Amino acid sequence: MNALQVRDITVTRGAGPVIREVGFTLEPGRITALVGPNGAGKTSLLEAISGVVPAARGSVHIGDVEVTKHSRVARAKLGLSHIEQGRAVFPGLTVLENLKLTARTWPRVDEVLALFPELDKRRNSPTALLSGGEQQMVVLARAFAARPKFLLIDEMSLGLAPVVFTRLLPMVTRFATEGAAILLVEQFTHLALGVSQDAIVVSSGRVTYQGSAQDLLATPQTLHSAYLGE
Amino acid sequence: MLQGALAGLAAGGLYAVLAVCLTLMSRLVRVVNFAQSATGMFGCYVAVYLSVHAGLPTWAATVVGILLGGALSALLGWIISTWLAEADIGTRSAVTVAVLLLLISLSFILFGNKPQPFHPILDGPAFSVNGVVVSQVTVVTVVLSVAIAVGCRALLGRTSFGLELRALSERPTTAELMGIPAKPLAVAVWAVTGLLSTLVISIVAPSQSNDATSLSMLVVPAAAAALLGGFRRLDLAVVGGLVLGMAQGAVAQVDSLSVVRYFLPFLVIVGLLLWSQRKEVWDVAR
Repeated sequence: MNALQVRDITVTRGAGPVIREVGFTLEPGRITALVGPNGAGKTSLLEAISGVVPAARGSVHIGDVEVTKHSRVARAKLGLSHIEQGRAVFPGLTVLENLKLTARTWPRVDEVLALFPELDKRRNSPTALLSGGEQQMVVLARAFAARPKFLLIDEMSLGLAPVVFTRLLPMVTRFATEGAAILLVEQFTHLALGVSQDAIVVSSGRVTYQGSAQDLLATPQTLHSAYLGE
Repeated sequence: MLQGALAGLAAGGLYAVLAVCLTLMSRLVRVVNFAQSATGMFGCYVAVYLSVHAGLPTWAATVVGILLGGALSALLGWIISTWLAEADIGTRSAVTVAVLLLLISLSFILFGNKPQPFHPILDGPAFSVNGVVVSQVTVVTVVLSVAIAVGCRALLGRTSFGLELRALSERPTTAELMGIPAKPLAVAVWAVTGLLSTLVISIVAPSQSNDATSLSMLVVPAAAAALLGGFRRLDLAVVGGLVLGMAQGAVAQVDSLSVVRYFLPFLVIVGLLLWSQRKEVWDVAR
């Protein structure tokens, strides 16, 4: 099966669990919005999936391979890509160099730059000199260049104006239409649900809603209750 | 004084190579490696032992010693990459101080505390300038330091391997999440710098104080040279090493100042640290 499965995962930080027995499946071509209040454990969940932090219990599977004990590098080689919170660019590298890290070939770099004309104009600039929106574009473009099967995106909008963020969202949709399974953690809940097929709401480390994103968007009361963990 | 400065150039080349190694370590694997020259010293001492006591030809013993220096450094790199991968640069560097002391102590236990009977790998003059003789050791160390700095710059700037190393040095976790294997790359950097340090020490050690402490403490003038480039710039590290070596050589020619040569690296370190904390930089830092 070409999906990413998270089975009853528990993540512990410091004194106690921040994620408790959470499970779901990411399927190719679908976007799943992972939303919830601040401190709900969304980032910890993503980090456990990609191997930044270990899972205390439960398991993660990429296709038929259990990767719970695999390194981050091994998971990346199986097609998992994780865009971290903040602007995870390499500031001392130019735009081209950032892309070359994952694209591997120059034709692929050109292909990706064609999708991001703003970056093409600044291809030789160090990414430290780009605006916040442009830096986030570099991060997206870099992930896109790797052709990931599974993409975890953590708070892409952090520190960006909503208008900038709305320009980036169509690129996420494009990833999905090309076959990637995407888990989208986002503070702009309505925007995230708007582009997603599936939704998971996490509150105090537990799943309080799991189902259709459009159903959740259509029933604000359900969303409100899920946020409050009711 | 010119004779002294040129005589100091051999040591300068040694400082420059070690400074380049320190700079690479600091930039790429986030460590100020205080054991940089100690691993080289230990490799060289084993080489001398194999040559003098085990009857191995000098060249073969030297090759074994250089490989051992590289392997020791790689082992240290593997330990730090495995158990201190997420630690800050201060903690990682502190571990190398412990290794420095360990290697000095181990060399005292295994080889005694006297200088070793090194067989020179290179001997004799290369050429003379206005009657001042320039030795083969001087030419080789200076050329080696420049070649290593130029080679590393090209490697980092123009190859995929160098690009991955630079990415790793800036954001190790992000690099790993993209599939860049942090540990093997870091261990490779440790191994190569260990090999280079041992190589250059094995060239210069026969012609200078070569007791275990003196060789291990070569890291001090090398750090002074690396500091000139802010532990970032390879070209300034080379210049710093060569100038420091020449200055020490020149000062040694003046009887009333000869003792100062031993303090010169410390004076340079203090001077550069004070300069880096001058008013405007201090304001920015705050």
